[in-house]
Amino acid sequence: MMIRKLVSLLLAISLVLPLAGCWDRRELNELAISVAMGIDKSGSQYQVTVQVVQPGEVAMQKGGSEGMTPVTLYKAEGTTIFEAIRKMTTVSSRKIYAAHLRIIVIGEELAREGIGDALDILSRDYELRSDSFLLIAKGTTAAHTLGILTPLEKIPANKIYESIQTSEKVWAPVISVTLDKFINDIESKGKNPVISGIKVSGSNEKGGSLGNMKTTQPAVSIQNNGLAVFRKDRLIGWLNQEDSKGYNYILNNIVSTVGHVDCPHGGQVALEVIHSEAQIKSSFQNGRPRLAVELRTEQNVGEVKCQIDLTDMQVIRELEQQAEQVLQGILEHLLEVSQKKYKSDFIGFGNALHRSNPGEWRSLKTDWDEIFEDAETDVTVKVKIKRTGTVTNSFMEERE
Amino acid sequence: MPKIEKISNRQLMVLVFLYTIGSTILIIPSGLAAIAKQDAWIGALVGVVMGGVTVGLYILLWRLFPGRTFVGICEAVLGKWIGALLSIMFMFYSFIGSVTVLFYAGNFFKINFLPHTPFPLINILFAAVVVIGVRMGLETISRTSELMLPWVLILLAVLVFTLAPEINTENMLPVFEFGWKSLFWAGFSFAGTAYMPIVFLFAVFPSVLNVEKAQIGMYFAAIMGGICVVLITLLCIMILGPNITSRSMFPSYALVKKISIGNFFQRVEVIMAGLWFVTTFLKTTFYFYGWVSSLSEILKLNNYRSLTLPCGIIMIVFSLVVYPDVVYMQYWDSTIFPPYILTMGIFIPLLLWIAGLTKKKLNLDSKKNE
Repeated sequence: MMIRKLVSLLLAISLVLPLAGCWDRRELNELAISVAMGIDKSGSQYQVTVQVVQPGEVAMQKGGSEGMTPVTLYKAEGTTIFEAIRKMTTVSSRKIYAAHLRIIVIGEELAREGIGDALDILSRDYELRSDSFLLIAKGTTAAHTLGILTPLEKIPANKIYESIQTSEKVWAPVISVTLDKFINDIESKGKNPVISGIKVSGSNEKGGSLGNMKTTQPAVSIQNNGLAVFRKDRLIGWLNQEDSKGYNYILNNIVSTVGHVDCPHGGQVALEVIHSEAQIKSSFQNGRPRLAVELRTEQNVGEVKCQIDLTDMQVIRELEQQAEQVLQGILEHLLEVSQKKYKSDFIGFGNALHRSNPGEWRSLKTDWDEIFEDAETDVTVKVKIKRTGTVTNSFMEERE
Repeated sequence: MPKIEKISNRQLMVLVFLYTIGSTILIIPSGLAAIAKQDAWIGALVGVVMGGVTVGLYILLWRLFPGRTFVGICEAVLGKWIGALLSIMFMFYSFIGSVTVLFYAGNFFKINFLPHTPFPLINILFAAVVVIGVRMGLETISRTSELMLPWVLILLAVLVFTLAPEINTENMLPVFEFGWKSLFWAGFSFAGTAYMPIVFLFAVFPSVLNVEKAQIGMYFAAIMGGICVVLITLLCIMILGPNITSRSMFPSYALVKKISIGNFFQRVEVIMAGLWFVTTFLKTTFYFYGWVSSLSEILKLNNYRSLTLPCGIIMIVFSLVVYPDVVYMQYWDSTIFPPYILTMGIFIPLLLWIAGLTKKKLNLDSKKNE
């Protein structure tokens, strides 16, 4: 009996051991929390840049700053990205922890050569999550882009992430692309992927120092800038602001945005889009695909810069027609860019065709890009102006 | 002779429900999407229909031999020696089943949460709970499953509602692209994973009180369990898309990673994984129970409990070697498992049922003649 009790006691005590924690524990002070990852080409190797948060600097109370930068960059080169990331432990005291990655930036040079292979690890590794944004560093390297410090948000990666999130809701040309979306596009035969670009503007030297954050007008800033067009996984060109806008209209990514139309007698009226709904309707006519886009938007008058009588229904109808023409122009230009300039169906007409005519699609899908080039297109736009804001006519109505 | 354990018809219902979901929910959407692409959910529905037939067959067999386990049925129909041979095949399969599901559980942990923890340790911890549960007996496990049911339902509801905003119905189109053939195979692999393992619950059937109600309840629970998996498959297709679903090791886990409500209700996948733990635990438990109870019945032991510990150790060791690597696992699951489960889950029960029916008829006839 005594022995039995003793054994039970020993067993009970041994239960304390696993209480100490699990095998895979990693304490916060052993982690380098990375918020952004940049991937560039360096000869035949990848150059990986990781933006790591300096916990002390970010959490610091006002005035207590030691004058250190809020983030640190680590760089390493490797034949594969995985090796490069592990190699970083030779310069960093902590292991890179990637679960909080917000953005993945890819240098334009690498993007032009193809990024499919570089992205494999991002979908394979268990630590990474599918909600980080993919971005292309326009005209520069990812490493350079990640080296810029920004005001308002101490962590530049957060700045970029949040500015995309905010911007895509209120400003048409911006859209976020996550890894999942990109992979889905690459795999489907009927749509080529698109990724947002970010651009560094301003003089180059100062961006990485704290000085950039200490002035009201930072010398260097990071800006969301147009969309990068891909064929398969290779970057083939950029869309300008207007075309990016058109892209988002067609893909139904518009939550709200602002555009303007010209008044009949000079000046402009700004119109706020409050609702937008686009449909891609692909069909077949005489064995040839016909690609149609139908767009319906509701808009409000947001700003008046000309002499115009907003109480007159006729004027409103005219404004609607003007807005329709403007949008029509934007969409048609985008289609032309897509068909003639880049010869790449990044809008997803192929997928629409796949959905509506799965039978015909089977014979088209292998050389869809060539067929797409000559396909007939048709754009219809319908605009409805709903409200004019808190006033009717401008107080400058009687202007000379 | 120890007292025979009894479970209520409601308890049977609960455990059939959880048993159907267990491990199916984790792996099946991927296989379905690989076969039927965006029609995976229809394939799953076809699977539910096939499952209805399968479970119906089991109920017929149960009605023919009330109060007998699978081993008992084999003996009654085929006699002592051939019956024993069949019973050993059956037992061996429940052994393989428990081992592979244990591997799944460990593999899931290893890939997603604990990459540096030794694989044996994960399996030992998981198996220990299973063995303790089975040692405590059927009544204990059944009550445990009743206790776990609300949690599973809550997590399922949270999963569906929090993912609803992410739904993109375009991913479902075009419907019926690959025709009935692929749907049939998808449905078959679904039924094979979700429903045919119910054959191992024959070890439980003799303990059920109120058999009539239990049979109807079991049918209902099996269908409901299947519908839950159809729902998850549908969400996988609508949110992840067929490509990513078929490419993921654990698509439903990739799915819950997507949950993000208003930037604060997010990164809850580890909590959601509770769904997987509970159901997979029950599946392993009943495979294991089927194995040890059949073994003890074949060996004519009074009590299966003395077998749990040695069998548990065998299970752990085998779970480490059953699949040498994950690529082999996928090969086995897609090429060897279907005909295997078809034999054990459909052909043999069907054979037993027909043979049992004729035998009974012959008996009746001979009695009349006398």
